[in-house]
Amino acid sequence: MKNIINAFSSFGDRNGQLIKKKSVGILYSIFRLVILLSIGFIIIYPLIYTIITSLQSKYAFLNSTRIWIPTEFAIVENYKAALDAMEYVKSFWSTFKNELLSAGIEVASCAIVAYGLARFDFKLKKVYTAILFLTILVPDMMIIIPRMLNYSHLDLFGILGLIDKLIGVDLRPDILDTAWAFWLPSLFGVGLKSGILIYIYIQFFKGLPQELEEAAWVDGAGPFKTFLAIALPSSGVVILTVTVFSMIWHWNDSLLSGMYLTDNFPLARQVSRLPETLGSKYHIILNSARDPQGIGYLMAGCVLFIVPMLIMYMILQRWFIESIDRVGITG
Amino acid sequence: MKKIKKNRGIVELKSRYGYLFTLHWIIGIVVFFAVPLIQSIIFAFSEIEIISGGIDIKLVGFANFKQILLEDPNYEKWLSSSATSYLYSLPLIILLSMTLALILNQKFRGRLFFRALYFLPVIISTGAVMNLIFKTTGSDMSGMGVSDAYSANMISVDDIVKLLDIQGEVATYITATISKIFDLVWSCGIQIVLFLAGLQSVPQSFFEASRVEGATKWEEFWFITFPMLSRVTLLVTVFTMVELITSERTTLIRNVYTMMRTGNYDETSAMMWFYFLVCGAVMGLVIFLYNRILMKRWE
Repeated sequence: MKNIINAFSSFGDRNGQLIKKKSVGILYSIFRLVILLSIGFIIIYPLIYTIITSLQSKYAFLNSTRIWIPTEFAIVENYKAALDAMEYVKSFWSTFKNELLSAGIEVASCAIVAYGLARFDFKLKKVYTAILFLTILVPDMMIIIPRMLNYSHLDLFGILGLIDKLIGVDLRPDILDTAWAFWLPSLFGVGLKSGILIYIYIQFFKGLPQELEEAAWVDGAGPFKTFLAIALPSSGVVILTVTVFSMIWHWNDSLLSGMYLTDNFPLARQVSRLPETLGSKYHIILNSARDPQGIGYLMAGCVLFIVPMLIMYMILQRWFIESIDRVGITG
Repeated sequence: MKKIKKNRGIVELKSRYGYLFTLHWIIGIVVFFAVPLIQSIIFAFSEIEIISGGIDIKLVGFANFKQILLEDPNYEKWLSSSATSYLYSLPLIILLSMTLALILNQKFRGRLFFRALYFLPVIISTGAVMNLIFKTTGSDMSGMGVSDAYSANMISVDDIVKLLDIQGEVATYITATISKIFDLVWSCGIQIVLFLAGLQSVPQSFFEASRVEGATKWEEFWFITFPMLSRVTLLVTVFTMVELITSERTTLIRNVYTMMRTGNYDETSAMMWFYFLVCGAVMGLVIFLYNRILMKRWE
């Protein structure tokens, strides 16, 4: 009885406040959902559009009642044209050999550099860090031409050139148009966006507890053994993050491959010049990329290019998203 | 005495290992970064002829810069259009990604789904394929339509602006922003990732303390979250600036790249260097002001 009276007497203020608080909360979650959905739509829309368009024949574009659900299919025709124009199998192999392999090399070599910069103190460390930031800031476009010219006569500190001058034997290899043009910079830790990768690694290594490594030192393990046996096994998270970033950037790179290679292009380059290839192959004008005949082909090419990365993302996303929380990129 | 010597030995040893671990990188920096960088400076100041088996370099002073700045009708146009889009995308991208990261950091059902969705641009946005998709879907996004047939059915931004009676500069800004919204949202991927990582590192105890003190959500954001994010915000700002400068969708970069591929090395080097110096100056200014004004207030 007392309880009921109490409940009634306090109903006016406390419950009123509770209801108010609750309704504000509900309103806010609705508002949040609307925002998330509408921006989510912006993200997903170009993808859906691309996929739907890639399924349709040119007649579908003349049918103005069709917006979302495809009506006139031409799946086989579109994808066959795109596969042919991109020389898909050949380009995929080229992507794997030139880009993905060098991504793997880059991930390994950057880890070593970052460990050195994060764990050891030395005189020039500040200079090295400044150089690291410079490599992040300077766009690849600035140095790509001299790099390309040097590649045709690759030289190490002018030693091979000197030999050439002295005894007349040109030992300088021409690595343009070979996979070495991609592998070598990665091997030396100055590949595609290596600076950012090294930075992410450094932030992570700094956060790792040092006790274990010091114990290993005391027990007589050398620095390399400590690095391989202690530091690396506990940094699976950061390695995953860096690998995903590096693979994505390499997969999408059409700038470097366009400069270093003259044929056997990787997929990214093939996709970016798809309008021209299609144009010359099927005699269609794709200038505005709105020609109904070619647009299906073009979008099929885009889908074929995205799909491998999408599959990788779907497999890895759970770990990737969780890992980002734990890497502490931002220190 | 003996101990000190031993200690110094370890310090020296450690410093030697530091050089050892970074040795290959320094070689790489010299061969693949420093030398090409210096060469490209030389290119910018010289005239280059491609001869068999190499190139012929002749120093000409500032002639290339004079050529691109005073005589070339296109360069200034490219530069100004790049600079405008850069100055105007930057604050919007940062604001948008910070808001989205704050929302995605809250606990609600479907959070993982939305996170996965919002990271999707990271996978695709840097790629060549986006150029194609945006060429077809992006050019007339103001109507949200893919072709005119669809956009005719929907309300366009122009109608809204007219309806609300907004005029002048503001109207242009709004129209331009909304028509670029796809581009902006798609540029936010990595920024959201960085902000989320930063938000995770804010200690929970701060919020608990502020709740005991009776702070509102707004005060919490303004006095805890935002100051704690200041370093991340700087990182995101710098990262976004670099991305915007080097993006292949920038008019200038696209045109310079086309010119490079035809073998015009001297002028393009000058173009890139001038562009980079202008952008670098702006970047330096932003970082300086940021440190000076915002960071100081918080310390």
